[in-house]
Amino acid sequence: MPYVIGSECIDTTDMSCVDECPVDCIYEGDRKLYINPKECIDCGACEPVCPVEAISQDRRVTEENEPHIADNRRFFIEPLPGRDAPLGSPGGASKVGKVGVDTELVTDA
Amino acid sequence: MTAPPESSAASLPAGATAGRDVEVDLLVVGAGPAGLYATYYAGFRGLRTAVVDSLPEPGGQVMALYPEKAIYDVAGFPGIKGRDLVANLVAQAARFDPVYVLGERAETLTNEAGTTPRAGDRLVVTTDKGTRVHCGAVVITGGIGTFTPRPLPGGHAWEGRGLTYVVKELAAHTGQDVVIVGGGDSAVDWALALADIATSVTVVHRRKAFRAHAASVADMEAGPTTVVTDAQVSHLEGDDRLHTVHVQHKDGTVTAHPAQSVIAALGFTADIGPLERWGIDIADRKILVDTAMRTTVPGVYSAGDITEYPGKVRLIAVGFGEAATAVNNAATYLDPDQPLFPGHSSDDPAGIGAAAA
Repeated sequence: MPYVIGSECIDTTDMSCVDECPVDCIYEGDRKLYINPKECIDCGACEPVCPVEAISQDRRVTEENEPHIADNRRFFIEPLPGRDAPLGSPGGASKVGKVGVDTELVTDA
Repeated sequence: MTAPPESSAASLPAGATAGRDVEVDLLVVGAGPAGLYATYYAGFRGLRTAVVDSLPEPGGQVMALYPEKAIYDVAGFPGIKGRDLVANLVAQAARFDPVYVLGERAETLTNEAGTTPRAGDRLVVTTDKGTRVHCGAVVITGGIGTFTPRPLPGGHAWEGRGLTYVVKELAAHTGQDVVIVGGGDSAVDWALALADIATSVTVVHRRKAFRAHAASVADMEAGPTTVVTDAQVSHLEGDDRLHTVHVQHKDGTVTAHPAQSVIAALGFTADIGPLERWGIDIADRKILVDTAMRTTVPGVYSAGDITEYPGKVRLIAVGFGEAATAVNNAATYLDPDQPLFPGHSSDDPAGIGAAAA
């Protein structure tokens, strides 16, 4: 039951949420940020700091952002465009740095 | 919240903890809800117990992240504030007078000979401050891991040469130009505290708005502190010691700020840290346990959010149950003549009838 970042983040990537996350589980794609559902501890610290209100609990996402629940997961469990292996659960976004690619859902947005 | 019991490490004079030896039956690693309940339960089983935590106060994630949040899913409490739940857990365990080793991170696990433990060995857990806890069994209730300051990007080489993550002593910054990085309460509180001690204080924050309390921010803005927002540290410069902090602004320009100290107050992140080197089977930073909450190392048990098994649900309520299972199984490991089932607390089988309500 993790938090999910929706379409409002696309081309915003304010990064305030990244500063708040106590487990460093918010990863930077190219045009959007993604929460690793396996690493998220559901604490909710990220939600109020997002200037575009892109973040919500997966049980409470808007209908429009429904596809982003699976898409946040997809960013980690499926190989991203141009990569051989999925990102998985690296245990900290700062160790990984900017990933620099997005999921198809975001690229096509 | 309730301070840890005075019989704990807190009553020792400062510095006296270095190289200290603590002798107990059971060590609990992590003083969050699961760990505090395990501490109570070990006392109830008649075990002399110590509990170690890297944070300076008990309560773990609850106190560090949401002390004011109301929690509605703890059995028997229709609603309870995080800090009240922790205070109650501390009070519940206090009856058995556990030894608190707080503000120290459990670093290594060995046997008394300093090598990999085998079944039946007496265990030694050593902290980053050099305290050695000697015990017969360990219950790891490490939650999301140990909290460490979020690193300043590119700052690594400057630690000990001008970069710090905490202000240990305000006087150490007397007469210095100080740059503080961050926008939370720590950053602003340190700016206020250093305003009259340091030669100059500059606060650099990545955004326009501060997360710190509005009143503190207003005090800071009214005082001598230079506040630089929408900017971040691009790099640090110096010789043996730091002398300049370069700050990049949103429009791309870079300004140089003379500074002998930079204090990075960027918050904390949790990481499983040293536990990964304890020889325990760990997958995706979670400890694998069986139905007795045994890890793969004899005498080492685990409970709470840090454990993993099929069907795991990460809730405080579940952690309490796991803590009881872990401790009761550890009790039979320590003394095979002891029954697994502890008896009912209302019967007070631990032989401390006088303490019973």
